[in-house]
Amino acid sequence: MAMLQRRILKRTLEEAKARFNFNCNRIRSTCSSFSKVTSSSAAAAGTASDNVLPQLPPFDYHPKPYNGPSADEILAKRKKFLGPSLFYYYQKPLNIVEGKMQYLYDESGRRYLDAFAGIVTVSCGHCHPEILNAIVEQSKILQHATTIYLHHAIADFAEALASKMPGNLKVVYFVNSGSEANELAMLMARLYTGSLGMISLRNAYHGGSSNTIGLTALNTWKYPIPEGEIHHVMNPDPFRGVFGSDATRYAKEVQDHIEFGTSGKVAGFIAETIQGVGGAVELAPGYLKQVYDIICKAGGVCIADEVQTGFGRTGSHYWGFETQGVIPDIVTMAKGIGNGLPLGAVVTTPEIASVMAQKIQFNTFGGNPVCSAGGLAVLRVIDKEKRQAHCADVGSHLIGRLRSLQEKHEIIGDVRGRGLMVGIELVTERKEKTPAKAETAILFEKMRELGVLLGKGGLHGNVFRIKPPMCFSKDDADFLVDALDYAMSKL
Amino acid sequence: MQRFIPVRKLLSETKYSLRRQRRCFSQVARNEVDNSDGFVHKLPPFDYSPPPYTGPSADEIISKRRKYLSPAMLTLYSKPLNIVDGRMQYLFDDKGRRYVDAFGGIATVCCGHCHPDVVEAIVNQTKRLQHSTILYLNHTIADFAEALGNKLPGNLKVVFFTNSGTEANELAMMMARLYTGCHDIISLRNAYHGNALGTMGATSQSIWKFNVIQSGVHHAVNPDPYRGVFGSDGEKYARDVPDLIQFGTSGNIAGFISEAIQGVGGIIELAPGYLPAVYSTIKKAGGLCIADEVQAGFARTGSHFWGFENHGVVPDIVTMAKGIGNGIPLGAVVTTPEIAAVLTRRCYFNTFGGNPVCTAAGLAVLKVIEKEKLQENAFVVGTYLKERLTALKDKYDLIGDVRGRGLMLGVELVTDRKLKTPATLETLHIMDQLKETGVLVGKGGIYGNVFRITPPLCFTKGDADFLVDAMDHIMGKM
Repeated sequence: MAMLQRRILKRTLEEAKARFNFNCNRIRSTCSSFSKVTSSSAAAAGTASDNVLPQLPPFDYHPKPYNGPSADEILAKRKKFLGPSLFYYYQKPLNIVEGKMQYLYDESGRRYLDAFAGIVTVSCGHCHPEILNAIVEQSKILQHATTIYLHHAIADFAEALASKMPGNLKVVYFVNSGSEANELAMLMARLYTGSLGMISLRNAYHGGSSNTIGLTALNTWKYPIPEGEIHHVMNPDPFRGVFGSDATRYAKEVQDHIEFGTSGKVAGFIAETIQGVGGAVELAPGYLKQVYDIICKAGGVCIADEVQTGFGRTGSHYWGFETQGVIPDIVTMAKGIGNGLPLGAVVTTPEIASVMAQKIQFNTFGGNPVCSAGGLAVLRVIDKEKRQAHCADVGSHLIGRLRSLQEKHEIIGDVRGRGLMVGIELVTERKEKTPAKAETAILFEKMRELGVLLGKGGLHGNVFRIKPPMCFSKDDADFLVDALDYAMSKL
Repeated sequence: MQRFIPVRKLLSETKYSLRRQRRCFSQVARNEVDNSDGFVHKLPPFDYSPPPYTGPSADEIISKRRKYLSPAMLTLYSKPLNIVDGRMQYLFDDKGRRYVDAFGGIATVCCGHCHPDVVEAIVNQTKRLQHSTILYLNHTIADFAEALGNKLPGNLKVVFFTNSGTEANELAMMMARLYTGCHDIISLRNAYHGNALGTMGATSQSIWKFNVIQSGVHHAVNPDPYRGVFGSDGEKYARDVPDLIQFGTSGNIAGFISEAIQGVGGIIELAPGYLPAVYSTIKKAGGLCIADEVQAGFARTGSHFWGFENHGVVPDIVTMAKGIGNGIPLGAVVTTPEIAAVLTRRCYFNTFGGNPVCTAAGLAVLKVIEKEKLQENAFVVGTYLKERLTALKDKYDLIGDVRGRGLMLGVELVTDRKLKTPATLETLHIMDQLKETGVLVGKGGIYGNVFRITPPLCFTKGDADFLVDAMDHIMGKM
């Protein structure tokens, strides 16, 4: 049955490709020229014409044949056993069965460029051999015993993680997700200060658990439940914010919230340096320095949510907060920390950690040998393969090419980000910045057909999020931009 | 080949003796002693030797833990154990010494450490695809959700995957609040449901509750057959719940959450008749009933697959974690399609939840439980173990209560049987001695005076004998 479906799918794909080529020839005269076509594949190249489909860079790997259930069978089971709230990408959802480095494979063996990394999570690359080895070897020896016994993996990993931190940030708590990490950070802030009020930015995302929902500030993600005392301050958004990139004026707003909306004292402030779910929005430069100062004076602690920006992704620095020249009191992380392993962490100072000693705090799975071994392998790979420098290099190339694309296509309202955490905001009108929701959806689908899997974000769903595994190459970047150029030209 | 000395026969003959005489082992087979003085029983045979350990020593690890991990991170034992290897129901320390794991990493390793079927599933999937999120399709999550749904009664068919028990309970509480439009939730005193801000409210032991605002939870009298004021009369305890609702809430509540057998609280089985009565009350108040199966689920109680089944009820929401993945970080919430629909009001998303590796492991666990008849084993061995422990109770006044079901057993130690004064220090001492003898148990209860015995479900009668004999020997010398 699966074989038949694979054949049908292959035929469908070939037909779709043929349709594309046919359309190419039809609108040859109006088609914009491509800046570059990757030379590697011979297939439809012929002459370096405008209408040649961009080709994936070559990759020496063959996925295993897939014999499992088809996309339709899976979708039917999902609807029945996983509930209607479990949403997915694409009109015709993609059955992803295998991954290798920066590529994913569907059930027919077709390769895609993974420009989203399972939501900024697969940091080193799908099934990266070193990390794979660490996980497999440890799984064969001991999966789980808990921290009531000693085990070296958690200690070694905590030490390695702490060594990546500036200042006095050296006490590590291991949890299983970003939500758990931010929950713990909030608890620490409230305990340490004795205050209740938390401050977060509008357009932020900090988790989906009932209390992190309070910190999250995007209505589509907020269920109507009590939040406790949370103040959502104006977002220092250089593109859409009323003060542009003027950090001082945004910071003053925080001061106002504290003076008029709280007792004058707060528990803490939390922010992502580059908002992820919110659409790759980089905080206006200089913002965090000023706000950290204000929060400190109000007796609060500063929490840096590094769930997406951490581990060298921004290229210029290891941690996102370093790009703003600050040192937080608490740092939370997840996603990329384990290249996909369910793992999160909170790092803080011994001073703040000491308040947690008042009661018992225990996480059954947190810091288990397999996840710790995987996490340690990730840190080593990032260093050994110089991923941070690579992100800076490829990232600036990518952003450069996207900015050129912006000059060519009016629909691109903004290109922003740093390293391999990039966003492209689409607008129907550049002055009004009207979100181009429908166009984004169409282009999103088109990119998938061309072989590029992007992410989507922003409150209006009009931002492409490009946050690939950090082994993403310049050729991959070129392919992505060429595909985007091609797709936009056809809109 | 193991040889049990004739003393063992002596023990069984005097099983019901009320004498608390010291057992004198020293005159018998002194040359067989390999650990603590006089205890000559040997671990059941096991055909596996761990590879030699070449990693950091216990002291090096302790020093790193002090420097880089939580200052409050507790370890068991005065001399913490460096556990480096695990196979089925045994753990190995850095010297290659084998221990009977009677705690199961806190009721988590249900099939057995490094069970080959589960490891194979994990390794194979990890080599193919670790993570992509549910934004794309993948068959593992669908197959596992289907298999899990099939294990539950009634209309409990829709599964949400999380990464821990805390996440599962947080989600369950949120869903109950959204579904009913009410905020108040009732949980039991002595319960443990998690450590995030919402679940901390439902958790009810002060030692686990930080001084932060935890709103909307009311804690009902615990139907504790041993320490509770109404003994085993479940219905009498159940009357506290309508009182709480009528006087402490608007009259309508979001729901009720409980474990079928309290784990952290010291293996306390809810008094019979309690849950049916309370479920009825909750439904009348418009609330949902949440069964926390994080410890009691997955065949552990032996008589049933789920703990709540022992009480003859069908909850509206079931939460699970720990044993679900034999140790892999995984949790789940299962509910009806009706209740599940509340999450469609906004976007709910869990990045790691339902990832291919964890769901592949989860499916392997369900298959192993079925194939190896682990539920039946939990029943048979658990019943046997409880009988032997009950016999031990007849022998030593120190044992105040033996309770539990299947392979979720508790032994409560008291210095005075009438007053039930917790024997906290004695518990610590015996626990340490048990480790020296080669048995790892857990500890629980608000006074820390309850041994928690929740081994991997492949635990044998031989293991049970070894555990009880060790306990007997140690108590005999006190």
